[in-house]
Amino acid sequence: MNFEQLFKKAKEKNIEAIQAELSEAESLNFHVFNGEMDKHQIADTKKLKLKAIVNGKMGKFVTEDIDESKMDNWIDALLDSAKAVESEDEVFIYEGDSEYKDIDLFNESKLNKLSHEDKIQLVHDLEQKTKALDERIQISQSFYGESSSIVTLKNSKGLNLQKRVKNAVIGGDVVARNSDDSRNAFDFIQSNDPADFDLDSLAHNIVSRATALLGAKSLKSGRYDILLENRASASLLTGYLGMFKAENVQKGMSKLAGKVGQSVANEQISMIENPFMEKSSKSGGFDDEGVATQYKKVIDQGKLITFFYDLKTAKKDNHAPTGNAFGGGISPTNFYIENGKDDVEKLIETMDEGLFVTSLQGIHSGTNAVSGDFSLQASGFLIKNGKIERPIALFTVAGNYLDLLNSVSTLGNDLKFSMNYIGSPTLKIDSMVVSGE
Amino acid sequence: MLAKQTLEKVINEALESQADFAEVFVEKTVQNSIAMQSGKIENAVTNEKFGVGVRVAKKHNAVYGYTNDADEASLVSLAKKLATSFEGNRVRETIKLPEMKSGNKHTVKRNPSDVDAKEKTSIVKNADAAARAYSEEIKQVNVSYLDSVQDVWIASSEDIYTNDQRVRTRLGVASVAKNDKDMQMGFNGPGASKGFEFYDEIDVDAAAKEASRIAVTMLHADEAPSETIPVVVDNGFGGVIFHEACGHSLEATSVAKNASVFSGKKGEKIGSELVTAIDDGTIDNAWGSQNFDDEGRPQQRRVLIKNGVLNTYMVDYLNGKRMNEASTGSSRRESYRYAPTSRMTNTYIDNGESTFEEIIAATDYGLYAKKMGGGSVQPSTGDFNFAVMEGYMIRNGKIAEPVKGATLVGTGKDALQKIDMVGNNLLRAQGMCGSLSGSIPTDVGQPTIRISNITVGGRKGSA
Repeated sequence: MNFEQLFKKAKEKNIEAIQAELSEAESLNFHVFNGEMDKHQIADTKKLKLKAIVNGKMGKFVTEDIDESKMDNWIDALLDSAKAVESEDEVFIYEGDSEYKDIDLFNESKLNKLSHEDKIQLVHDLEQKTKALDERIQISQSFYGESSSIVTLKNSKGLNLQKRVKNAVIGGDVVARNSDDSRNAFDFIQSNDPADFDLDSLAHNIVSRATALLGAKSLKSGRYDILLENRASASLLTGYLGMFKAENVQKGMSKLAGKVGQSVANEQISMIENPFMEKSSKSGGFDDEGVATQYKKVIDQGKLITFFYDLKTAKKDNHAPTGNAFGGGISPTNFYIENGKDDVEKLIETMDEGLFVTSLQGIHSGTNAVSGDFSLQASGFLIKNGKIERPIALFTVAGNYLDLLNSVSTLGNDLKFSMNYIGSPTLKIDSMVVSGE
Repeated sequence: MLAKQTLEKVINEALESQADFAEVFVEKTVQNSIAMQSGKIENAVTNEKFGVGVRVAKKHNAVYGYTNDADEASLVSLAKKLATSFEGNRVRETIKLPEMKSGNKHTVKRNPSDVDAKEKTSIVKNADAAARAYSEEIKQVNVSYLDSVQDVWIASSEDIYTNDQRVRTRLGVASVAKNDKDMQMGFNGPGASKGFEFYDEIDVDAAAKEASRIAVTMLHADEAPSETIPVVVDNGFGGVIFHEACGHSLEATSVAKNASVFSGKKGEKIGSELVTAIDDGTIDNAWGSQNFDDEGRPQQRRVLIKNGVLNTYMVDYLNGKRMNEASTGSSRRESYRYAPTSRMTNTYIDNGESTFEEIIAATDYGLYAKKMGGGSVQPSTGDFNFAVMEGYMIRNGKIAEPVKGATLVGTGKDALQKIDMVGNNLLRAQGMCGSLSGSIPTDVGQPTIRISNITVGGRKGSA
């Protein structure tokens, strides 16, 4: 890709500044269903994202038809796009920071040690292991996905950055059945180091999660103490990322507006964004605008420290950008609630009566990102006198996310990340509204 | 567009193996989106997609590859690479493609690519102004405009060679109402398989005001109760209940793998006799319609459930092989980046005989879900959840106070049997449906229906 020529052509058309982001990606996916490889996918793709400042407005254009003879059309599209924009917010194409953290996200030697056949074997092995563990496993599927990408970010102000990322995920999905019920479960391991693929423990997790829920029934409506399992808490946090984004705060669409420096959560809660986690595909030294990413505490012992900023929102708040311009908006990289001290077993033992919620469903529809309210379908276990009494399903747990963060009484030590690298340990929460029978 | 000889060459190269099926999917899509926030046009972006997907299969086991590199040599090499999964002697004769079939029954009067950007932004501005003018409590309005022209060419070893153009247009209005106590959102997003003429046919102001009306109503609503009660689900987007709770479980994607609660239930009574449900991909200019499905077969009208009895599943070609059934023309995908699978198109519960008034009057105490939000379902168990965007309590056969924050949970099997009243006011509404083969436009729909009892999860607790 001849970036110099593109920038030169842009200048001739009175474009003040232009940025190009070229992503080149390769991916490989296998899927095994009941012993047979039923899906196998390979891909090789390129995407070019352009943005340009014309008369103080930002024009944008995206194409997968990267035919350099069409450069003039791309520039026309940028000019048209900028012309339509009315927003008077100041826009930026960034000169770059003095320093970027260099992290190895490719880990080439490691994943490449596995041959194509090894990878296929891994998926078959996982599927067989899950099936062999329990005769109630009626359906089992497993998958392996691998992707590598090279992102090149250049602009007419001299920015020239590149990142290479390679990552893989292996996981399984089972349905356990007995005479009158069926339950499914899913789990995965994401890494760029095959040494992390502990298939025995993965298979065990998946199978026990499904079988333990067999026979789950609803329960009486009422208020219950809740133990929110790590993965359920992480998926709930995913529904409220918007609260922490400066664009929503500035538009009055976040209940955290005006709360920096104040207590917004129980003092045991700290939330961290760490862009430098080595085995995460979301890590990296710079964001989509070329701003250096940074490790930060967003909430420190209950106190709100900062929001996530891109260049535009940072300027408005007279704040430094935080390196969170991703995907055309603002997003965190790896974002998580920091671990507490207690084993989950201990949290269960110290609960007189309550619910161990292991799954929340319908996050995208059952959460109100503006008000913080949620009402979500849940499943898990009823706890009595420190012991699991029975599996429960088809009930809802309702509340408000900020109230929840304030009513956390204890944190587990079992931090787990979702596929999207949002993480949490298990949280013990006092009294929530539960709707069942 | 690729030459017919190139398509034949790629297909035949893939079949130099034990593979018995090969398909090439070529796509060129141009999407224009405009976003207005805080009363100003914030973004106007053109997004061009271009790529080729090659699928090779032996029986129902498929290998899929995709690339943006559309020259013959690289596609042939991709086909070769895919065929290595099925090494062995050739089983198919040399494929000659038939004449290309094309033709768009969903007439487009003004192709969006011929419409000036100014005209597009003026629609967005009108919507924004109307939504804001609705009430002083409306503090934020986001308007999104989308037009999309997707051209696809599909060629396969099954004597298929088709070209389809899908033109789609949609306007989305999200309003936020706010006072010192609370903030609530309302959304309305009308769309169709039409060009820019869509905006001559709908009332943009009314569509925008609807989003604000919901937000303001919910701002003054009480918390919903948490109890199991009768629920009246209104027509239009209320059909999301059927889409989530039953529709997904009738897709071959889960049925073929015996992973659906409705696997093996064809001909059996799975719901109330009042329920007839249809998935129709042929409705003129409907949001979820196509001329051909994404395996190149003509779209169809499928009666899924007739008077409570399961009549047909939605079947794609490869899952059909697993099930020993013919394709029902139900194969869809978001783009060349996805291998297709069986999906819904425009799916709705058909009209019954009750009037809306009769249904409300017959309900002593319950919830009236006037506008539904989204939801999700687990096909293996049929467990579903969905959010009520605008709800009211029903007391003594009358619609009473508005309530917010309700989520309905249940199982599809159970809810389908508990439908005890079906209205005569069928209406469809537009949505995006996400599943294995990506995010695709679908219509949901139904007349007003009543479910005799279902769990309502609100924050108020039980009475």
